[in-house]
Amino acid sequence: MNDGAVVAVRGLGARLGGKSVLEAIDLEVRRGEVVAIIGPSGSGKTTLLRAMNYLTPFAAGEVEIAGHRLRPGMNERTDAAALRAVRTRVGMVFQSFHLFPHFTALGNVAEAPRHVLGLPLPAAEARARALLERVGLAAYADASPQTLSGGQQQRVAIARALAMEPVVLLLDEPTSALDPRLVGEVLAVVADLAAGGQTMVIVTHEIGFARRVADRVVVLAGGRIAESGTPEDVLEHPRTAETRALLGMDRRDGSATDR
Amino acid sequence: MLAKFPFAKRKITKRTVPALLLLALVCGCTRPQAEDRLAAIRARGVLRWGGDLQGGEPYVFQDPGSPSGLSGFEVDIAGALARRLGLAAEFVQNDWQTLIPSLERGDFDVALNGIEVTPARRARVAFTRPYYAFTETLVMRRDDGTAARGLEDLRGRRVGTLEGSLAHDLVRRAPGVELVLYEGVEEPYLDLERNRLDAVLLDNIIAARYGLPRPMLRAAATVGEGVYAIAVRPDEPALLTAVDGTLAAMMGDGELRTILTRWHLWDGHQEVIASEQAMGVDARGRESLSLGHVTLFLRATGFTIVISVLAMGLAIAGGLVLSVARRYGGPALRAAGGTYVELFRGTPVLLQLYVLYYGLAPILPLTAFSAAVIGLGLNYAAYEAELYRAGLDAVPIGQSEAAAALGMSRGLTLRRIVLPQALRVALPGIANDFIALLKDSSLVSVITVVELTKQMTITAVDVRGWLVPGLLCAALYLALSYPLSRLARRLERRLAPAPA
Repeated sequence: MNDGAVVAVRGLGARLGGKSVLEAIDLEVRRGEVVAIIGPSGSGKTTLLRAMNYLTPFAAGEVEIAGHRLRPGMNERTDAAALRAVRTRVGMVFQSFHLFPHFTALGNVAEAPRHVLGLPLPAAEARARALLERVGLAAYADASPQTLSGGQQQRVAIARALAMEPVVLLLDEPTSALDPRLVGEVLAVVADLAAGGQTMVIVTHEIGFARRVADRVVVLAGGRIAESGTPEDVLEHPRTAETRALLGMDRRDGSATDR
Repeated sequence: MLAKFPFAKRKITKRTVPALLLLALVCGCTRPQAEDRLAAIRARGVLRWGGDLQGGEPYVFQDPGSPSGLSGFEVDIAGALARRLGLAAEFVQNDWQTLIPSLERGDFDVALNGIEVTPARRARVAFTRPYYAFTETLVMRRDDGTAARGLEDLRGRRVGTLEGSLAHDLVRRAPGVELVLYEGVEEPYLDLERNRLDAVLLDNIIAARYGLPRPMLRAAATVGEGVYAIAVRPDEPALLTAVDGTLAAMMGDGELRTILTRWHLWDGHQEVIASEQAMGVDARGRESLSLGHVTLFLRATGFTIVISVLAMGLAIAGGLVLSVARRYGGPALRAAGGTYVELFRGTPVLLQLYVLYYGLAPILPLTAFSAAVIGLGLNYAAYEAELYRAGLDAVPIGQSEAAAALGMSRGLTLRRIVLPQALRVALPGIANDFIALLKDSSLVSVITVVELTKQMTITAVDVRGWLVPGLLCAALYLALSYPLSRLARRLERRLAPAPA
């Protein structure tokens, strides 16, 4: 891994149900960098992101992340300790939030610091309160997730992931499940994290957001990287047909997504 | 039935018990209208006599070798009686404890099955002259050196006997003796051998066949005597006269002696009863429901609650272990869990209680109480495991993924994230199962535990009526289960929306 690289994906290949969904992916993410992965549906974006913390196993290549190495054929049971070591250092935000419905917002955020890191309860809760404040939900600490809007739930989920102080945060289409009115508040939180230097990999359909926040944009098509570079290079001067097709559809209503 | 109805109606308004339940009880406790059926019996050509095959040798028992499939000295007596009356004898199987109520209902013409003449029974039915005289034999273990000459020497000791027998009355009236009731004749002696009892008091015929052949046991004393007679409905004097007269004739010409001798039952006592007479109904023996009975009912209710709560606790914990083993265990553990669930759900809980208490006694000497709790608990654990499985299925996979992504171990995820949500889903079902368990706890009476339903049957025999004890029993069960079913419905409503 090069100096400063937090994630290094090398020659990654993944199969789903006998079908190849990712082939020969190489990708590096440096400390403090924000990488946006865009691409049409079924291009393997989510599989690539989930391979980075091995929530989806992969068949070939390797992933070096947060100082640990993930290999094909690892097993939730036999490699539990190694996988846990990676996941405690890598945050993840899901498309449909997956908040714990039986805990309050505060409880969701404090859960892992308390029970994975073993912090005393007051310390875990203090950390959780600070994070809820950071995502603008200090007033909702005692709210149950079901009473929160989708945007609020996703902001709690981001706070929950940040509570482990991850070296890299993986976000899987964080606004896709949201009512359009609520997308902005979540993107604002992510943009704020980017400004604060948080290393992030974001799978997104929000091209305008990627242009504004990402340091680098990776275009995935048919399980391969079609193109990768600065937002300006990739989005203003696309070199491949795949990227042009993706942006062509988006450009027509670009003003709608370019917030 | 009509005559009873005004009384029943008053109870409805007083207790607001559902009318259907009441109707069932009324039907179960009233007698057919007074009418001498001897003519009807003669026209039918069949004398129906009631008995219990479980009483066993030498009374009435199944015998594949005999033409009727039955053998026993009472089979011979019933056959001779019918023959002399110009009728065919037909046996009707009926639990021994309920022979008298079934006779009153009209399920058979006479009851003839080691029915001892007691004041309580004489208050309900008419008896012919006795056909057998017995004594009560107190059986104890050889290694128990107590020199007991009677029940008065057994204060503080546990004495077993058959429910509803004369011995039952004797033990109940003996001060300071702890009474343990059985429904079969083999089980009390088994428990005596296993130290679960200190003595067994039963008729000498039973003691000679089932108790004394066991090398560990000895006859300690003879504590009373009594007679067996044939019971007839009190409103059928013609039938009573006919059967009694025929029995007298059998005594006169020696056929009864021949039968008893063939079964090795003839002894000096039998000479004495030749002079006895038939006995009509004696209203003085009747007891009425008293405050003492109510106290017994409340105590039995306490037993039902304690057994149910402990068994449910065991079932909830056991079900948890089972469902987790089936979902997260290796192949062997999963197979074992599956086998357990199918085995315990697929066989009657009554059978499981029998096997646990009597079958496993040599290797696992449980008290009746712990066998009841463990038996019901193990059975219901299988049902709880299925409930949790449904609960676990209802927790979205995203919950486990979110926990894994936070670095939570599988155990921590299960404990903190998955199980609490699964239990919430399972909670209404658990409450419903607890109601079912409350009622199933009545089954533990087969292993000598006196809970609410058993207390009801005992009291019903005492007060010669099932209506009032039945209503009292039903009211107590309802008082326990109704709040629970309300709780279950509230839980269902509150937890109905699926978690996000």
